Amino acid sequence: MGPGYVPFALGLVLAGLGVAIVVKAYVAPDPAPGEAPADARANDSAVEDAPVDDAPADGGAPSGRAASDADVLDPRPLAGIQWRPTVAVFAAVTFFAVTVDGLGLLLATFGTGLLAALARRGTGPVRALVIAAGLTLASWVIFVVLLQLRLALVGDWLGG
Amino acid sequence: MTPAGPRKTAAYIGALAGLGLILAACSSGADPANYPEDDIDVIVPFSAGGPTDTVTRMVAEPMSEELGVQLVVQNVDGAGGTVGAGQAATAEPDGYTVLMHHIGMSTAPALYDDLAYDPVADFKPVGLVTEVPMTIVGSPDFEPTTFEEFVSHIQENADTVTMAHAGEGSASNLCGLLLMDALGVEVTAVPYDGTGPAMGELVGGQVDFMCDQTTNTTGQIEAGKVKAYAVTTPERIEALPDLPTTAEGGQPDIEVSVWHGLYVPAETPDEVVTQLTDALQVALADQMVIDQMADLGTAPVAADQATPEAHATLLQEQIESWGDIIGAGQGG
Amino acid sequence: MDLLDNLALGFSEALQWHNLMFCLLGVALGTAVGVLPGIGPTATIALLLPITFGFDDPTSALIMLAGIYYGAQYGGSTTAILLNLPGESSAAVTAIDGHQMARAGRAGVALAVAALGSFAAGTVATVVLAVAAPPLARAALSFGAAEYFSLVVLGLIASIALASGSTLKALAMIVLGILLGTVGQDLNTGTPRFTFGVRELYQGLSFVAVAVGVFGIAEILRNLHDPRSRTRMVSRVANLWPTRAELRRIVGPVIRATGLGSLLGVLPGGGHVLASYASYAVEKRVSRNPGEFGHGAIEGVAGPESANNAAAQTSFIPLLTLGLPAHPVMALMVGAFIIQGITPGPDVMTEQPALVWGLIASMWIGNVLLVLLNLPLIGLWVRMLSVPYSVLFPVIVVFACIGTYSLGQNPYDVLAVAVFGVLGFVLIRAGCEPAPLLLGFVLGPLLEENLRRALLISRGDPSVFVTRPISGVLLTLALIALVVAVLPAIRRKRDVVFAEDE
Repeated sequence: MGPGYVPFALGLVLAGLGVAIVVKAYVAPDPAPGEAPADARANDSAVEDAPVDDAPADGGAPSGRAASDADVLDPRPLAGIQWRPTVAVFAAVTFFAVTVDGLGLLLATFGTGLLAALARRGTGPVRALVIAAGLTLASWVIFVVLLQLRLALVGDWLGG
Repeated sequence: MTPAGPRKTAAYIGALAGLGLILAACSSGADPANYPEDDIDVIVPFSAGGPTDTVTRMVAEPMSEELGVQLVVQNVDGAGGTVGAGQAATAEPDGYTVLMHHIGMSTAPALYDDLAYDPVADFKPVGLVTEVPMTIVGSPDFEPTTFEEFVSHIQENADTVTMAHAGEGSASNLCGLLLMDALGVEVTAVPYDGTGPAMGELVGGQVDFMCDQTTNTTGQIEAGKVKAYAVTTPERIEALPDLPTTAEGGQPDIEVSVWHGLYVPAETPDEVVTQLTDALQVALADQMVIDQMADLGTAPVAADQATPEAHATLLQEQIESWGDIIGAGQGG
Repeated sequence: MDLLDNLALGFSEALQWHNLMFCLLGVALGTAVGVLPGIGPTATIALLLPITFGFDDPTSALIMLAGIYYGAQYGGSTTAILLNLPGESSAAVTAIDGHQMARAGRAGVALAVAALGSFAAGTVATVVLAVAAPPLARAALSFGAAEYFSLVVLGLIASIALASGSTLKALAMIVLGILLGTVGQDLNTGTPRFTFGVRELYQGLSFVAVAVGVFGIAEILRNLHDPRSRTRMVSRVANLWPTRAELRRIVGPVIRATGLGSLLGVLPGGGHVLASYASYAVEKRVSRNPGEFGHGAIEGVAGPESANNAAAQTSFIPLLTLGLPAHPVMALMVGAFIIQGITPGPDVMTEQPALVWGLIASMWIGNVLLVLLNLPLIGLWVRMLSVPYSVLFPVIVVFACIGTYSLGQNPYDVLAVAVFGVLGFVLIRAGCEPAPLLLGFVLGPLLEENLRRALLISRGDPSVFVTRPISGVLLTLALIALVVAVLPAIRRKRDVVFAEDE
């Protein structure tokens, strides 16, 4: 058994399972709500008519509603994805990964906090800046002052 | 340009002061005359709790006292120690990043063709720290009881005997390669993820034998949980005085110890290296370090070995001899 | 009575004023780092090891380090329940139902149940440790590669129960998880796999990065897509305490989980990883309404949490009786022993009775302290949920980044968080649940390693898996579990039960 044996075998199994899922979707689409994990949650969260703060009301015909859990089993799982939160959160984490060594903890935290805060519809630039600034301070206190983690505050690119 | 008002002047002064502070912060690390002023990171390219980590922490304490700053151990695990060593190779050469590595420094060039650093050209040796002897131990159920019986047993039963080791490039793997090379046999090598699991399965009788550092085997040998055959140093060791050497058993070629050494990036100023070497010398003479090492069946190297020169010589020798042994192992 | 003498010695040692303080310090620190994502017990103990050099009494040092370990196990479940952010493999199971409880406004109950279950399990496990350590350790030694392989197979098959949806998709997620687990250097040959020349990937993907991604970040994306689901959990935090009926419901799960966890914890080859997953699978199987699992079943929190805590304690058994570390945290404990001038080995229990029994007694005391420390904190934690989400989720994102990065100072780990966050979100929308994926990821390497190791030792003869008795029994159980899981008739019946539940 070489190093490639197990990954190769797993790849075949995964491909087989993929085909089975596709076939099953055509032959016998999941009918019972019990089959859907998130469906049940959606059902009970839909019953609850909790106050909705800035719920997405715009965004074109399907996407606004498609965002809710009830549509988790939308036949096109990618269809209801809102780009703003998805891209912003992805960008926020990626920004940290790319800059933490170069810019250092403080600036990386600030940038990540800013991008993440902007992921939410309804958070304006000023509010996002305030959140990011507060977050940078809080991270410094918790991770550097209290937990004494050895993280460079100012990175290599800035001569730290 | 309008003439600057008092407020603007204040702003300028403030900005200049800020810039000055930043510059001061940047330059402080690079001045060898004031070394050391800040904590020193010691990169250990293996996981925390392993033998190299333990040795590092033992000497880091008295070295910190001597240098007046804290030596902080950073475990950068992965790829047989090459990830951590690679990180140390590209670190700022200001003496604030130090690497503790073992025998694996000399075997990496033979084991990995795509090594991102050169153990000789990219580092300056600071000094050797300790040479941990290795012991050949067998499971309680393994037939042979003496080293001579062990040798003839594995020569006769090479196709059924199994040997545990702690993973590709580990010290136990290297000792196993050397042993097979010297005895001219090939047994089934069973890799484990670290020396702890390997020892566990040896004690449980799942595998037949292993060659490992005294730091891992002394406790088990003393408790009689494993059979001990020989120690791989030229002399018997204090912690296990009854254990014969491989040379006594007629196999002088099986001689290996896991030497540990400190390194800094190649461009580090010599003054800084000297300070580190001096602190290492003090630490190795510390009674507590000697006692702790003795408990594990090892000892600090002699003072004339804890020098950059002795370290460089050994590194060069070892790279050459292991290149041959590993090359032979892979060819066959 | 030897045992009573030993325990008396242990308690007299552990109840000394300074040892009590260090125990409290350890569990408090452990809880703190457990709550923050990423910085787990391994990193914290590695950081604090130098501080313990200065202690005069080695017992104090070990008591504190052990406290950090089980304190962190405990703290990890807090964020798993509140924020769907598991910091450790065991907490991932707690997140499944614990977070659903939180979403339904029952975060306080979930946290209280986790605390009480852990305490009960910890108490029993301490007794197990005191009474049965040597024979259990000897039994654990009869586990070789073949047995571990069969155990992992059983665990993986039982884990289909982790999914509340399609079995087929759950299987696919397990396989995908195992595949992700093969990233990095192959143990046998050192050949890099799926690393694309990136040396930082040689050690594989970090568990924390994958877990924080598919659970934590994916959860944030879900909440941002549907703000309604969040408001509910804050608006109705009615009762913090479990009712009498709820307490009665968890008695059975806690007892079963404690037994299971205590046994699995002893196995040095990764048994403790399985404990919480195994308990979840068992509880779902014996439950009269398995349909509740995945939607906030209280047994799904009480069982895994108890199993995990029991296993955390009994994983000290191989260390204390054989001198063998079962996992990285135990390896660090070995380091601490050595630095304190004690050679860890099979003799440590007879040579250092005050230390070993003091440590054992301190674990029980530590569990008491943890409950005292955490029950009052529950109200505070739950109130944290009422922080406006526009502020809370950037905090989670940033803390997740810093925590993951601080593990190994490896930016690739943070990148993995981003990738797995989006992947996890897409998978959830496609009806594929992340828990089986994570289990596959944790157990995959164990599966492959032990398969290849067993075949190496047997020289390629696969019959060892059935001829070795323990292995054979485990595989038979796995087969039965598989039949039960896929048998269509049983499936249909399950669906009926499920539908009635809705």
